[in-house]
Amino acid sequence: MRRDTLRDLAVAVIAWAALMVFPSIYESKFAIDFVIRMAAFGIFAASLNLLVGVTGMVSFGHGMFFATGAYGFGLLMQKAAISIPLAMLLTVGASALVALVVGAICVRLKEIYFAFLTLAFQMLLHSLIVAWVPLTGGDQGLTGGLPRPVFLGIDLAKQSHLYGFSATLLVAMLLVLRHLAETPFGYTLRLIRDNPERAHFLGVKVFWMRLAAFVAAGSIASVGGIIMALFVSGAFPEFANWTMSGEAIFMIMLGGSTVFLGPIAGTAILLVLNDFVTRLTEHYGLTLGLIILLFTLGLRKGLLDFIADAIARRRERAGQGG
Amino acid sequence: MSKTQYPRRRFLKTGAAAAAAVGLGFPMVGRAQAKTIKVGMPTILSGRVAMLGTSSRNAVMTEVEKFNAAGGLGGRTIEMVIRDSKGQPQEAARVARELVNTDGCEVIFDCEASSGAFAVHEVARDLGVLCLHNISETSALTADPKNRIPNAFRTARQGIHDSIAGGSYAAGVAKAKGIKRWMTCSPDYAYGRDTTAEFVEYLKHFMPEAEVVGEAWPKLFQPDYTEVVTKIVQTKPQALYSCLWGGDLTSFIDQGNLYGLFQASEIFAVNMADYTTLTVVKNLPRGIHSGNRYIKTFPKTGANAAWGDAYRAKYNEYPTNWSWESALGMQFLTEAMKKVNSADGKKIAEALRGMKVQTPFGADGTVTMRAEDQTVVGYAVGWGTTIPGEPYVPEVTAGDWNLILRLEAEWKKRKGFG
Amino acid sequence: MDFATLANCLGSPACVVTQATSGLIIGMLLFLVAAGLTLIFGVLKVINFTHGAFYMLGAYFAYSIFRVTDSYTLAVIGAALGVGLFGLVFERLFMSRVYGSNVLMQLLVCYSFILILDDAVKLIWGPEFKSMGMPPTFMRPPLFIAGGVVPPFYLFLIGVTCFIGIVLWLVIGRTRFGKIIRAAAHNPGMVSALGLNTEMIYGLVFALGGLLAGLAGGLAAPVRSMVSGMGFSILIESFIVTVIGGMGSIIGAFVAAILLGLTRSFGSLGFPLFVDGAMFLIMALVLVIKPSGLFGKEA
Repeated sequence: MRRDTLRDLAVAVIAWAALMVFPSIYESKFAIDFVIRMAAFGIFAASLNLLVGVTGMVSFGHGMFFATGAYGFGLLMQKAAISIPLAMLLTVGASALVALVVGAICVRLKEIYFAFLTLAFQMLLHSLIVAWVPLTGGDQGLTGGLPRPVFLGIDLAKQSHLYGFSATLLVAMLLVLRHLAETPFGYTLRLIRDNPERAHFLGVKVFWMRLAAFVAAGSIASVGGIIMALFVSGAFPEFANWTMSGEAIFMIMLGGSTVFLGPIAGTAILLVLNDFVTRLTEHYGLTLGLIILLFTLGLRKGLLDFIADAIARRRERAGQGG
Repeated sequence: MSKTQYPRRRFLKTGAAAAAAVGLGFPMVGRAQAKTIKVGMPTILSGRVAMLGTSSRNAVMTEVEKFNAAGGLGGRTIEMVIRDSKGQPQEAARVARELVNTDGCEVIFDCEASSGAFAVHEVARDLGVLCLHNISETSALTADPKNRIPNAFRTARQGIHDSIAGGSYAAGVAKAKGIKRWMTCSPDYAYGRDTTAEFVEYLKHFMPEAEVVGEAWPKLFQPDYTEVVTKIVQTKPQALYSCLWGGDLTSFIDQGNLYGLFQASEIFAVNMADYTTLTVVKNLPRGIHSGNRYIKTFPKTGANAAWGDAYRAKYNEYPTNWSWESALGMQFLTEAMKKVNSADGKKIAEALRGMKVQTPFGADGTVTMRAEDQTVVGYAVGWGTTIPGEPYVPEVTAGDWNLILRLEAEWKKRKGFG
Repeated sequence: MDFATLANCLGSPACVVTQATSGLIIGMLLFLVAAGLTLIFGVLKVINFTHGAFYMLGAYFAYSIFRVTDSYTLAVIGAALGVGLFGLVFERLFMSRVYGSNVLMQLLVCYSFILILDDAVKLIWGPEFKSMGMPPTFMRPPLFIAGGVVPPFYLFLIGVTCFIGIVLWLVIGRTRFGKIIRAAAHNPGMVSALGLNTEMIYGLVFALGGLLAGLAGGLAAPVRSMVSGMGFSILIESFIVTVIGGMGSIIGAFVAAILLGLTRSFGSLGFPLFVDGAMFLIMALVLVIKPSGLFGKEA
């Protein structure tokens, strides 16, 4: 176990270093914006996979935490004169609280009912955001921009600093999720996913474990929301719309829910497709729809899952042949 | 359907070139000896409001073709780079940044609506690039000091202007017909709420005895208005105000007709006089009071009628409110460019402040870009009644701009916009 | 909150008639769409996210057929059959390939179709919204029943949808086809073992679901404008109905749809700002208290 943790840490450090060095080697404002968005959506999708892939809980309402992250952080920065790290801490804490309350109600439900109830909660949050105009700006969102006071020499008003900040958060959050997934906690979650009755008979407190996973996923998702708020310098009710939750699910589906980095691959695929199709044609729906259709019908599973399965099958065949 | 090959070819060429450039690793910004002036236009080309993007694009391309055909800016032609944000504000922000950073656009010609416009506004604040907002009617975009940046301008109409003109007109009709009991029915989002609140405020300003006895707030894009219609039928107001628009207004009229709504009350529908609604509604009631979104008969000038006819002939559809606003925006941009003989954003911004252009859409043939808050005034604002056939709104009573400007100044002070 | 108005209304027969009819009409159209959705889920255990797009197609088919033939009857029948056929093709060529996969993969297929159909509709019919207009037969003044206002067109719609509902109930409950469908929902393996072609059954169920959605789209076309992307709100509402009524239960869909319709129509008097919130709240309550819905079977 210790060796695996060290390996994960090493990979993380190398990836982080590569990301930080990248802009000096290859100058591209497009790439910088892309990585920042990758961080926001990637953290969001990866956190959802803690529920979907690891615990077997399909949530249709995960976008609510993306929204609490963006709005929480945005409101704190606009109304209270506090530092960015403190605002982030408070935002993640508030999201955890929301996850605790919502989760306590939702996680006892099974499968599709859990999915719909989380969706209902998200839509309630969306209605609240749109209705509470004096606080949230209603459907216009938080306007006027977010103040970004310098902290520890980091000036997030500079895109290059935001890039480094987002890249660091991405690696950090992935490490946290990896740790959660690859420890006894994660193994118990998988046990719950595969056979909840058995887990119960083995003495596992299924409800509390699910709730813990829900709170962890929600808190981490809010970090993605914070990065998005910084990118657009504001927050919009679209972040709380169920289409945002849908995007996260698609990223997991495209990249794979079994392989750890599946959601990240899926995020990259969806963002690249989105950006490319938008530039090349105005028939976005037709083009993207056809590509996704071919992808799903062809692979029938996420890309990394497909590759992992193909490798496993080849090994099996080689094992049997030898 | 509009012809879209010309911009699409440009799009594909630009897109392919951009893709190649990104792939090969050559930044697009700062290409030496660039002949064209690239103007980036984030807009909505898909979904329920696709009409916004397509009709804006049509109007813009006509202006750009005119400008380029006349020699452009000393030989430099304008190249429009139009991209779809699908109505998502974070996409609008991303697209705006991409247009400037990767595609080398020197101006953001923003044709986004409500939250999208605010998202693009923050990008303009961040990058310092010249930005024209051509669609957003939210007053706060330019009136609120926290949104004021030297490089952003609005060339669209403003909700507050429409409300003052509307309130004044409605009070006139109400006094003549003895109407005191009002009801409102508007979509439940920022535009609907603000516009309705302001209309009621100014209605009461001009006629204090007016009373709002009921309100209905259907959701935007709600398919079914039955419960709203029956509520109005139950309340039996003498007059009804609504700022529903587009497909919503059409559905509302169709469903209201079933209940005889339009014979029972005097109707004031701000967004009725838009050809998209006027030509689509099959059983258009007579005598609906409407503000002018775009109508060929107001201003009653040859120039306006000619512009409308030319648009119709070229694109086989009527122009929309968004069309004239975008055309006006491009007019301001090109004339400012010619005035300073440069495509430099800062110089153009200098020229734009206080600039007056001759345009078919001006109340007196001109529209001015007010320097203090960088938004347009003097465009044609008026109200008239509908007939169920061409020319749809034959007579329009023009709004009084002196009155509008005076009351707007007071409104700004009250709101703390200074 | 305006409970005084609501109370007044409940005391006046005219008001009750008007509001009840409007609640019924909202509910009945919603029922048609939700019935299709719940049927597909009941038999195939598939959540058809494309259902809103089916409704949209029905509306557009009706619009075009009416433009050409000037006949509302033909338009509605054409819409129903057209979308039914589309549903069959959709299921056979696309959905059936992902039955074995993760349910979310099926969701992704549906989503890709929503993207494709929304764009296709925009390409074929144009980006501007359209209105079919009221067929001349129904261009009459409203009736006054007990003082309440009732448009003849709405009476017609309520009648037609009731009739269809009864036919559907009879088909599912009394015919051989209905028995097969119910059996396939309960135990597909056994049905297949008995020599019946489950694949064709699945296709027909999807076709039936599509037919119902297309029918709703066509019936409502005279009073609702159509635009690319209009299926979205219908989808959400029919989900809420299906969840409250119980996934797989047609009676449940009927009761839930009427409940929601009446909540909307009386709610717009009593609590106009919370009508949408009330719908989500009811859904949340049902999920917490009895997740399988009012008439659903405990899984």
